[in-house]
Amino acid sequence: MITSNPIDRDRPQKLYVQLYDLLKGKIEKGAWSVGSQIPTEDELCKLYEVSKATVKLAVLELARQGYLRRQQGKGTFVCKRVIPEGLTMFASFEEMMLEAGITFTTEVLAKTVMMPTEDLDVKLAVSDDQHLIYIKRLRSVDQEPVLLQEAYIPRNICPQLLEENITGASLFKLFEKKYGIPITKVKDYIEIAHVNEEEAGLLGLKTDSAALLLTQLFYSGETPIMFMRSLKRPDRFKFYIELDKKATQ
Amino acid sequence: MPNGKVVKDVMVDVFEYPHVPYWFTIKQAIGIIKKSLLVPEKCFHPLAVLVFDEKYNLMGFVTMKDILKGLEPHLFKTKTMADADVSYVDENALAGIEAGLFSSESKKLAEKPVSEIMVPVKTHVAPGDSVVKTAFLMVYNNTTILPVLENKQKLVGLVRMVEVYKEVSDSVIG
Repeated sequence: MITSNPIDRDRPQKLYVQLYDLLKGKIEKGAWSVGSQIPTEDELCKLYEVSKATVKLAVLELARQGYLRRQQGKGTFVCKRVIPEGLTMFASFEEMMLEAGITFTTEVLAKTVMMPTEDLDVKLAVSDDQHLIYIKRLRSVDQEPVLLQEAYIPRNICPQLLEENITGASLFKLFEKKYGIPITKVKDYIEIAHVNEEEAGLLGLKTDSAALLLTQLFYSGETPIMFMRSLKRPDRFKFYIELDKKATQ
Repeated sequence: MPNGKVVKDVMVDVFEYPHVPYWFTIKQAIGIIKKSLLVPEKCFHPLAVLVFDEKYNLMGFVTMKDILKGLEPHLFKTKTMADADVSYVDENALAGIEAGLFSSESKKLAEKPVSEIMVPVKTHVAPGDSVVKTAFLMVYNNTTILPVLENKQKLVGLVRMVEVYKEVSDSVIG
């Protein structure tokens, strides 16, 4: 039971947003642990003296953000944090994690040079004898591997990258801030992939199990500068797309 | 050495050569050789692919000879062919096995990683080493190419027999 209601009706912030922040704080501080059932909508209405619509909106948003899981007929539960991934152009893994307040670690599995194989030369618009810098990184959240990322960059775009310590670095930031290569366009393709033995071992999944595969082609102007293949644990990521309809003149 | 040239004067850029990581298959290396080496304007001797580890350390070289050996190991396991340097080859014994060489089994073997067929790097030279020392190391190690490492660590180039030979022979004959 709360002694004084933290929902302040005099604040300009909408009630459901205030409630969303409050409930999110409970989850993040561990007051509501992962797997536990949260109070029912009716209980939350009474607890915070707000309408059912306000509670519904706050809970729905928390579910959308991956904090809660609603189970028909059973209730709403705190779930293992899913990392929301907006399809924004510059949403690097680091930025997403920092924004979401999630601590992560990066292990560089490979940073070497190779020739284009399969259709990488076509994707990156390079000749088939042009060297590519190959970077493979494993990202973990709470010591659990969640993302296996492979990047292919034509060496002539950024040869200095081979000397760079990329363990804690964002490739996007390096391109833009350090090497003055602005990323102006990205093409994203999302699909379900089945992991091979090596990928499964790294991500802690069973061989041939499904994972989210995001392939991205980054451009600076009209020049493709990086092809990235990100294999994500399906239980730790979800994508959302926000579409704003622009007012017509 | 009369002209006193050192390795850095004659070495070539590593990016003149195709690179592969050690986990690439023989099949992938075959494709890369075809695109990167077997064209007249890129025919850069010795015809070799450089094999690197995941930290971009040079592990070894793969030549066309190594690929042929990898695709048909029996060829070099046969007693009569055991020593590649022998001047005499038992033609009858070769005829007996010839028809079975480079068969469907070779296609399977092409899926092996290049690390299994590469010639590992045995030695290296430094940018300041003399061409004479390099010539000695090449002959001693039976190789036509050597990596050039700065501070014994950073790969800065490759030195090839063709340049070393030119320097040494010029200094001898004049």
